[in-house]
Amino acid sequence: MQVRRTVVGLAVTIGAGAAVLSVAAFALSAKGPNATPLTAKITGTAETAQGTVPHAWLDLATYPDSLAGEHGASGGAHPDWVSYGPSTNLHVPAHALVTVTIRQYDSGGAVTNPYFAKAHGTVDGTVSIDGKTETQAAPDAMGHTFTIHAAPTNQDPLFVSVPLPAVADDAKTAPNSDYPAPHVVVFSFLTNGPGEYVWNCEYPCGDGYYAKFGGPMSTRGYMSGSLTVG
Amino acid sequence: MRRLNVGTAVAGGLIGGSIAWFLAHQFLATDNPSGSNQVTILTMVGWAIGFMIGIGAFHGPWCWLMGRDQSHEDEKFLAGDGQGIGRYFRFTTDHKVVGIQYLVVTMVLLGVGGILAMMIRTDLIRPDSGFLSPQVYNSVVGLHGLTMIIATIIMVTGPFGNFIVPIMIGARDMAFPRLNALSLWLIVAFVPVLFSAAVLGGIPTGWSGYAPLSDQAPPGMDAYLTAIVIFAISSAIAGANITTTILTMRARGMTWNRTPIFVWGTLASVGLAIPAFPMFMGSMVLLGVDRTVGGQFYVASGGGSPWLYANLFWLMGHPEVYVIVIPAVAALMELTPVFARKPLFNYTAAVLSIVGIVGLSIMVWAHHMYASGWAPDLNGPFMLTTELISIPTGIIFLVVLGTIWRGRIWTTLPMMSTYAMLWNFIIGGVTGIYLSDVPADYDLHGSMFVTAHFHYTLMGAGLTGAIGALTYWFPKMTGRMLDRRAGFASFWLVQIGFNVTFLSMFAAGLAGQPRRVEHYDSLFGVANLVSSLGAYVIGLGMLILLYAVVSSWRRGPLAPANPWGSKTLEWTVPNPIPLENFEVLPVVIADPYGYGEGDLRVPVPRAPAPAEAVAGAATGADGATTPTGAVMTRTDAPPIPEQERP
Amino acid sequence: MTAPTFGARARAWSRRAEVRGVFLIWVVLTALLCLFSFVPARLMGAPASPTKQAVETTMTLFTLAASPVAAFVWAIAIYSLVRWRHRGKQAPTEDGPAIRTNTPASALWVVVSSVLCLFLLVWGFVEVQAVATSASASDAMVVDVTGQQWVWTFSYPQEGNLESDQLYLPVNRPVIFHVTSKDVIHSFWVVQMGIKVDANPGETTQTSVTPDRLGRFDIRCAELCGLLHADMETSVHVVSPTDFRSWLRSNGGPG
Repeated sequence: MQVRRTVVGLAVTIGAGAAVLSVAAFALSAKGPNATPLTAKITGTAETAQGTVPHAWLDLATYPDSLAGEHGASGGAHPDWVSYGPSTNLHVPAHALVTVTIRQYDSGGAVTNPYFAKAHGTVDGTVSIDGKTETQAAPDAMGHTFTIHAAPTNQDPLFVSVPLPAVADDAKTAPNSDYPAPHVVVFSFLTNGPGEYVWNCEYPCGDGYYAKFGGPMSTRGYMSGSLTVG
Repeated sequence: MRRLNVGTAVAGGLIGGSIAWFLAHQFLATDNPSGSNQVTILTMVGWAIGFMIGIGAFHGPWCWLMGRDQSHEDEKFLAGDGQGIGRYFRFTTDHKVVGIQYLVVTMVLLGVGGILAMMIRTDLIRPDSGFLSPQVYNSVVGLHGLTMIIATIIMVTGPFGNFIVPIMIGARDMAFPRLNALSLWLIVAFVPVLFSAAVLGGIPTGWSGYAPLSDQAPPGMDAYLTAIVIFAISSAIAGANITTTILTMRARGMTWNRTPIFVWGTLASVGLAIPAFPMFMGSMVLLGVDRTVGGQFYVASGGGSPWLYANLFWLMGHPEVYVIVIPAVAALMELTPVFARKPLFNYTAAVLSIVGIVGLSIMVWAHHMYASGWAPDLNGPFMLTTELISIPTGIIFLVVLGTIWRGRIWTTLPMMSTYAMLWNFIIGGVTGIYLSDVPADYDLHGSMFVTAHFHYTLMGAGLTGAIGALTYWFPKMTGRMLDRRAGFASFWLVQIGFNVTFLSMFAAGLAGQPRRVEHYDSLFGVANLVSSLGAYVIGLGMLILLYAVVSSWRRGPLAPANPWGSKTLEWTVPNPIPLENFEVLPVVIADPYGYGEGDLRVPVPRAPAPAEAVAGAATGADGATTPTGAVMTRTDAPPIPEQERP
Repeated sequence: MTAPTFGARARAWSRRAEVRGVFLIWVVLTALLCLFSFVPARLMGAPASPTKQAVETTMTLFTLAASPVAAFVWAIAIYSLVRWRHRGKQAPTEDGPAIRTNTPASALWVVVSSVLCLFLLVWGFVEVQAVATSASASDAMVVDVTGQQWVWTFSYPQEGNLESDQLYLPVNRPVIFHVTSKDVIHSFWVVQMGIKVDANPGETTQTSVTPDRLGRFDIRCAELCGLLHADMETSVHVVSPTDFRSWLRSNGGPG
C-alpha cells in the first residue's frame, strides 16, 4: 500500500513535470512568422572561378512598412515596421552561383559605418544598382544593407554585404503601387559547402529605438533572417 | 478586511492595471516606442498598487489615517488566529504563516527558473539545434537568470529567516508583523510583472540588464525594470524588519556570543541587502527615465555612460551573491554541530568570517568589470580586495571541518548537504580565484567558465545549503518528517547531475565558448551534450524532491518536537507551534552548541526575570525526553536531570 | 613533572590513527589533483600568443597551489565519513568530544591561507605589470576595432585606413587594438590569444597582444549584445610579414 502510493506519487510528479516541460517547449519553440522559406530557383549553370556551377536566383524587396512582406496585407503586430519580403527565411543551393535581386522601396540617410556602403564578398566585388555596376553606394544616402555573415559552427565562412541606396524622401508614389519607384540592386555570390548562416541589415533603421537598432532590427522576421545553404 | 484574500488581490490588480492602462492611453501618445514604454510601466505600477489594495496591505495605515486603529480582534484575525488553510492566502501577519508562504513562493520561482533552465539546455544540446529562435533564447536566458537570482535571494532568509529565526531567538513574532506580510505579498505581486516580460517582446539583455542594450529593448524591459523596483522595495522592508527583530528581540540572556550562527548569517544577509538593492532600484529608475522620457543616463552620445549602469549594477551584484550564499552556508554551520554531536568549532572565527565577508563584499564589485575598459588602473586594487575574500571564506571551511572532526557523524539528509557543500564550494571557490586574477579574467570573462563558476557557488553552495536547511527544519515547519528515501534519491540525482552539468561547462568555457549564445562552434559539442544530459538529471532529482516535500507534508509521519536532539530554541516549542510561539519567553544561559558538555547543563545563577519556562528537557510529541536543556533555564527550575536520549 | 618537548608531542600526534588516515588520503588526493592541474591548460588549447601562454601557466599554477587545500578539505570529509560515521536510523547515543576550538590549528589555517592569498596577489600583480609593459612597444601596429550589432570591422590607420571584416595580423609583431562600438556594449575576444576588452559606445578601450603562431583563430563577442549575439564572430589570420604585405596590396592598401 505504502509502496504503491510512493510509486504512484512519484510517477504523477515526474509525469506532471514532463508535461509542464513539454508545454513550455512547445510554446517557446514556435518558429514565428518566417516559417515559410523562400527557396532560390535554379535555372541553368554559370561559369565561375569555381568552374561550372548551378545558377540560382533569388528575388527580395525592402519596404518602409510591413504591409507587403511575410506578415500579410494587415502587417501583423507591427504594420509600421520596416521589413524585408517576401520572406526572411532564405534557402540557396550549395556550391552554386546565387544572383539576388533586391527592390529597395525605403528612404534612408547616412550609414554609421561607411564600410557597409561598399560591396563585399560578391563576384568581382561589385553590385549592380539600377543597371550600373558599382563597388559602393553613397554612404550618406543609404536605405538598408543586405549583410550575410558566418554563424559560429564549423562551416565554410561566408561574408557578403551589399548597400541598398535610399529612395529620396520626397519621391512620389509610383503608379499602380503603394510605394515610390524602387532602386533595383542585383549582385551575385558563390556559395561553398552547406551551412546555416544569418543575415541582417547594417543600416540602422529601427527608428525611435536607441541606436536605431531596436524594434524591426532586433526582431526576427523584419530586418534579419536566416540563410540556409545546402 | 476579513473578506480579502489572494483572489480579491488579483482582481484589484487587474482593475488597477486596467485603470492605469486606460488613463495612459487617454493622455499619452502611444504611437512611438517611448509612449508604449510609458504605458507599460504605468500599467505595471497600477497592477501592483491594485494588488496590494486588494490583499488589504493598506488596511492598517488607512484605519490609522482615519483616526481609528485596528481593534485587538482585528489584530488576532490578521495573525491568522483560529483559521484554517485560508490564512495562507491572506495578508496574515503571523511570522510562521509568512515563512510558509515564502517557502511556497520560493519553490514556485525555482520551478519556473528550472523549466527555463531545461529550455536553455535543450537548445544547447546540439551546436545548432534551432530549438529556440535567438530572440526567445535571449529572453529565456534573462528570465532564467533573474528568476533564479530572486528565488535564491529569498530562499533562505524568506522561509527560514521568517519562520525559524524569531523562534530561534526566543521572540513571539517579528518586530513589524504587518511589514513582514507586506514584503511577502509584494513578491507575489512582482511575479506576474516579471513574467509579463515574456509576452511584451522579451528582454534581450540577460538578467544583468546591461545598458545601453536595455535602452534599445522592447517593452519587456519595462516589465523587468518595474519588477526590480517592486522587489527592491520588498527586500528593503524585509531587511529592515528582520534586522530590527534580530537586533532588539533576542531572548533575555541571548548575548551576541550566544546567538546561533544562523541568526548571524541571516542578519549579515539582510543587512547586506539593505545598502545593495537600492543601487539596483536606482539604476532601474534611471533606466525607466531613459526609456520613457529620453533621459540618456546610459547613452554616451547624450552625455551618459554605460559604465554608470555597470557600476550601479555590480555595486548590488557582488554583495548580492553573498546575500545568497551567507545564510545558506550559515544554515549548514548551524546544523553541522547537531549531526556531528559536537560544538560548533571556533564560534568566534565563524562570526568573524561572516563579518569579514560582508565587509569585503562591498569593495569588490569592479572585478566584474576588469575587461570593460572602465578604470583599468583600478583592476589591481580590486584584485586585492577580491583575493582577500578567500581568507574569511577559508575560515568557513575551517569551522565546518573542525566541527566534523572526531564527531559522531549522523548522515541525515541535512548533513549530506553539508558534505555536498564541502565538495561544491571548494570548486566554486578555486575557480573564483582564477577569475579574480586580472590577466586570466581577460581571457575567461564572459565565457561559459564564468557561468559554471557562479553556478558552483550559488547552486552548489547556496541552493545545496537551502535544501539542507529545508530538510533540517522541515519537521518543525510542517510538523512531519520528510520522506528519507525520496530525499536520498533526490540528493544523489541533484548532486551528481549538478557536477556533470557544470564540470563539463567549465570545459566548454576553457575551450572558448562564450556565455549566452544560442548556438556555438561544434568544437564545444561534446561538453554541451554532457552538460545538457546532466541538467536533465538535476531536473529529475528536483522533481523527486518536490514529491518528497509535498507527500511528506500531506501525510508524512508526525514529527516529535525535537527529532534531531538539537539545542536551539526553535526545537523547544511543541508541534504544531502555538500562535506567539512561547507561553513564557525563555531565558538563555549558554550558546546552543554545548554538545558533549555535560557540566554546562548545571543551571547557572538564576536569571533575574520571573520567567516561567517551557525550558529544560522539552517533551517531544512521541513522549520521549529530548536533550534541549542546555540553552536556557527558568528562575525556579530544579537542576536539569542528566541527559536522556531517545 | 616537565611538559613533553615539542618533538615528543609532535611524534605522539603523528601516531594518532586519524592523523595518519587523513594524511594518507590527503597525499593521494593531492597527487591526483596535481596530475589534474595540467588539464585546464590542455582544454584551453594551444596558445597563439605569449599572453595566452601566461594565462595557461597561471591556470596550471593556481590549480597546483589549490590542490593540497582542496585535497585537505576532502580528505577530512572522506575520513570523517569512513571512521566516525554513526550507523543506524536513530540519533547517536552519545555526543562527540566537546572541542570548542583549537587555537594552534586555527592560527595555522589562517596563516597558510594568508600566505596562499599573498602568493596569488604577488603573482597577479607581476602579471598585470607585464601586460602593461607589452602594450607600450614602439614598433606596434595599431588596429581600430569597431563592434556594431552584430558584426566586427577592422581598420588599419597606419596602412591608409584599409578596412576589413576579417582581421589579418603579421606574426611576431606587437599589435595595439583600439576598440569601440557603434551602438551597444560588445566585447572583443581573441580566443586563442587570451585577450578581451569591451567595445563601448562613445569610448575607446585598448588591449594589445603579440601573435606568435601562424594560423586562423577565432574572434567572438563576449558580451550579450542582442538578437544575433551568437553570430557575432569572425576570424583572425596570423600570417608571415610578406603575406601580410601582399594581403594589404591585394586589398588596396599601400603595401
